[in-house]
Amino acid sequence: MPEPEKNVTVQDIEAIARKYPAEKRFALAIMQDVQREFSYLPQPVFEVIHRHIGTPVAHLYALATFYKALSLKPKGQNVIKLCDGTACHMRGASNLSKGIRAALDIEPGESSADGLFSLELVNCVGSCALAPVMVINETYYGKVTMESLPAIIAEHRRASCEDTAASCETEVVA
Amino acid sequence: MSLNISIDGKTCTCESGEFLLEVARRNGFYIPTLCAHESLSEQGCCRVCIVEIVSGERSQIVVSCVYPVERAIEVLTNSEKVKALRGMTLALLQKLAPASSLIAGMCKAYGAPELPRLEARADDDTCILCGLCVKACAQLGTGAIAAVNRGIEKKIATPYDQPSATCIGCASCAQVCPTGSIVVKQDAQERSIWGRTFTLLACDRCGVILDTTEAVAYAATLRDAPPEHLCPDCRKQQVAQAFVGVYGK
Ligand code: SF4
Ligand code: FES
Repeated sequence: MPEPEKNVTVQDIEAIARKYPAEKRFALAIMQDVQREFSYLPQPVFEVIHRHIGTPVAHLYALATFYKALSLKPKGQNVIKLCDGTACHMRGASNLSKGIRAALDIEPGESSADGLFSLELVNCVGSCALAPVMVINETYYGKVTMESLPAIIAEHRRASCEDTAASCETEVVA
Repeated sequence: MSLNISIDGKTCTCESGEFLLEVARRNGFYIPTLCAHESLSEQGCCRVCIVEIVSGERSQIVVSCVYPVERAIEVLTNSEKVKALRGMTLALLQKLAPASSLIAGMCKAYGAPELPRLEARADDDTCILCGLCVKACAQLGTGAIAAVNRGIEKKIATPYDQPSATCIGCASCAQVCPTGSIVVKQDAQERSIWGRTFTLLACDRCGVILDTTEAVAYAATLRDAPPEHLCPDCRKQQVAQAFVGVYGK
């Protein structure tokens, strides 16, 4: 389990929750903000939101498990979305998934030990002509091959390492 | 405004806006239901209560438990179309709850088709995900359970599948569940539900079990009164005796 970037405290979450009026309809907005800030929803989030807007903890938890954009485990700094829609599947998305596993030792839904990457399988990103497609953060990569994959990952690893020197001691050679 | 409608050929009177299921039941018609519960508002999700409505050439399938009658209609509760669709609905519900004997029985009774090409959920699943339990718990004001995850992973659970701090062990969820899906274990002293064990309180006088300590305390906070320690019968007797003391000379 990768450590969350920051040590999340109840006070941090409360500060986010307090930006919103104490009304039930803001539950999702608060969770999105927390997700953006900490890259996941730490357990105390539900209790904090419950105290703020009154919605039961179980219902907030249900909401969080419904949306793919919210995650209960820390997501990596770089989120790899590998398309496994029909076109990408036919053009070898499963192979790429194996390639990512080999490079980062993660399965879909997991985050790498250094907290730099997490992998998600998605169904069609609407760029079938470029199949197989992989999206890292906001960048789209089309016609990805096993040969081009390591360089793409390395590029993001380098970018992250320049940002946060700390978490990058283990340069994995893919 | 009163309306006359025909159900399987019988003329029935009802108020405009009444739900069709209610009207049919009042007039002695049996329509199978799973997710309809008299004390919880319309769920309308199991779809086994469907009926056919005919007007002239046109016919329409409606969900009787949530269909408000607003004009004179002709209702068929057991037409060929209804039978076929109800059978299919039950067959699909059985894929959700393959271990439910209730659903299995209904499948048999209503001639549900086998659907060998569809994979069923886990062998021991009995939940049809109707959400009645969640509603009951929410309506009580506890809200300890909810439908978590989605798609084929959806299930009713407490947060993180952990014993819930808000659960009071009242077992209302288990009581409303149409398929008996929620496991409650109880002996003379304790009740276990949703992974947590609660101590039971007994009536001070006759020893009959009242509820869990937490449920009794919760009921007291709702009434803004001290927790009850007598069962309804003993409470009545006590009140009666008090009156005898005052007036009965
Ligand atoms: S446990 Fe019972 S009441 Fe709750 S959703 Fe499942 S079938 Fe419905
Ligand atoms: S009883 Fe009408 S939909 Fe379930």
